[in-house]
Amino acid sequence: MIYLDSAATTLQKPPEVALASRYAIEHLASPGRGGHRPAMEAAAVTFACREAAARLFDVPTPEQVVFTLNATHALNLAIHTLVQPGDTVLISGYEHNAVTRPLAAIPNVTVKVARAPLFQPDAMYKSFTENLTPEVKAVICTHVSNVFGTILPMEKIALLCRSHGVPLMIDASQSAGSLPVSLKQTGAAFIAMPGHKGLFGPQGTGLLLCGSEQVVPLMQGGTGSESIRQQMPDFLPDRLEAGTHNVAGIAGLLEGLRFVERRGTQAILSHEQGLIHTLADCLSQIPNVEIFFSPEHQAGVLSLRAGNRDCEELGELLGEGGYALRAGLHCAPYAHETAGTLETGTLRASVSPFNTEQEMFRFADELARLVKT
Amino acid sequence: MLYYLIVCRSLTYAQRTAAALERAGISAYIMRSPKSIAGEGCSHSVKIAQRHLTQALQILNRAGLSPKRVFIAQGGYYEEVAL
Repeated sequence: MIYLDSAATTLQKPPEVALASRYAIEHLASPGRGGHRPAMEAAAVTFACREAAARLFDVPTPEQVVFTLNATHALNLAIHTLVQPGDTVLISGYEHNAVTRPLAAIPNVTVKVARAPLFQPDAMYKSFTENLTPEVKAVICTHVSNVFGTILPMEKIALLCRSHGVPLMIDASQSAGSLPVSLKQTGAAFIAMPGHKGLFGPQGTGLLLCGSEQVVPLMQGGTGSESIRQQMPDFLPDRLEAGTHNVAGIAGLLEGLRFVERRGTQAILSHEQGLIHTLADCLSQIPNVEIFFSPEHQAGVLSLRAGNRDCEELGELLGEGGYALRAGLHCAPYAHETAGTLETGTLRASVSPFNTEQEMFRFADELARLVKT
Repeated sequence: MLYYLIVCRSLTYAQRTAAALERAGISAYIMRSPKSIAGEGCSHSVKIAQRHLTQALQILNRAGLSPKRVFIAQGGYYEEVAL
């Protein structure tokens, strides 16, 4: 199989990830819930994971690294904290349902959308400047579109938010592990990310990087701290981590983070962009195939349409032939609306450091064959 | 044997505290706080040898990890130390 769906989950992981998860299942207990060796060893693993994430994402202290189930969980925590009924929120036109659905669930929230054509960071920044009006209480912005791979001008948007004193939440689902992501530099209130994509952890892992301790928990329960009190502790990470941790997931995530640290985000990005360039070159030679590509401002994700062919049908056919891609709206109708592909959806190829150029050639050949028939 | 317990608000804080001390060459052991000193219920403490307290406090102050409560422990008895 040629796996080109890393924007959903990276399937190929460093071998240490599965080994660490397996070790955790067999040997580690609940961190903070006992003084015995399996519990303390689990605590050491969770702490090492917080420290690794803090190093990679420039977070001042490991307490500000909160474990979540996934990026959606992390975004819900952030939105639940910063957005109140009746607020006005500014988002980019490339947001995922993980952002827009939690907003829709809060009564009377007005959502302003900063839209700009694909791969035009200056136009996107301009749209943010025009839409960041005084009534905006919070800004939420994805770093990279999960559908098109377009890179948003995060540093400039962060600076804009800081200058207006408006809290910024960053969805780093597609950038964590391949682009520089810094809590300190952006001054973001929150940065949310999955563990199972560019960080190579198992599914069921995610991180919320917190710019402050003023957070509102979504769940209440045991934390192994201040057990007499019937309110959640007022300090991180305990405040947001009720219940037993996903230690097997965290152990795997730690190894994924170590892999990213060893390889380097710049090298990972260069590899992925190189693959996308190769793929774009090949696909552009197939008649009736429309690619959404920019030699600049694009990460390791590429969307395409093939004439009048239904993208889901093509995805299905490719799957049967051993090519794993995702088709449809990718849980991001706002992004498709912005790009003008809401009616058709797209077929999406997304890569990881484990893909090769040869795989790009083979996929392009297979698509050419399918489109012809 | 006489030793000190630095009571921490969370396990993660205790881990940071212990890491800062270990980096400075002070052996630091994380443990569940004894029930009688745990404050609002469960907490974690960092155990250090008696001779290291002064240096440990200096290190922790420099690292921005000033302890809120420290106990001297001997034979199952704990007495809070005025900081």
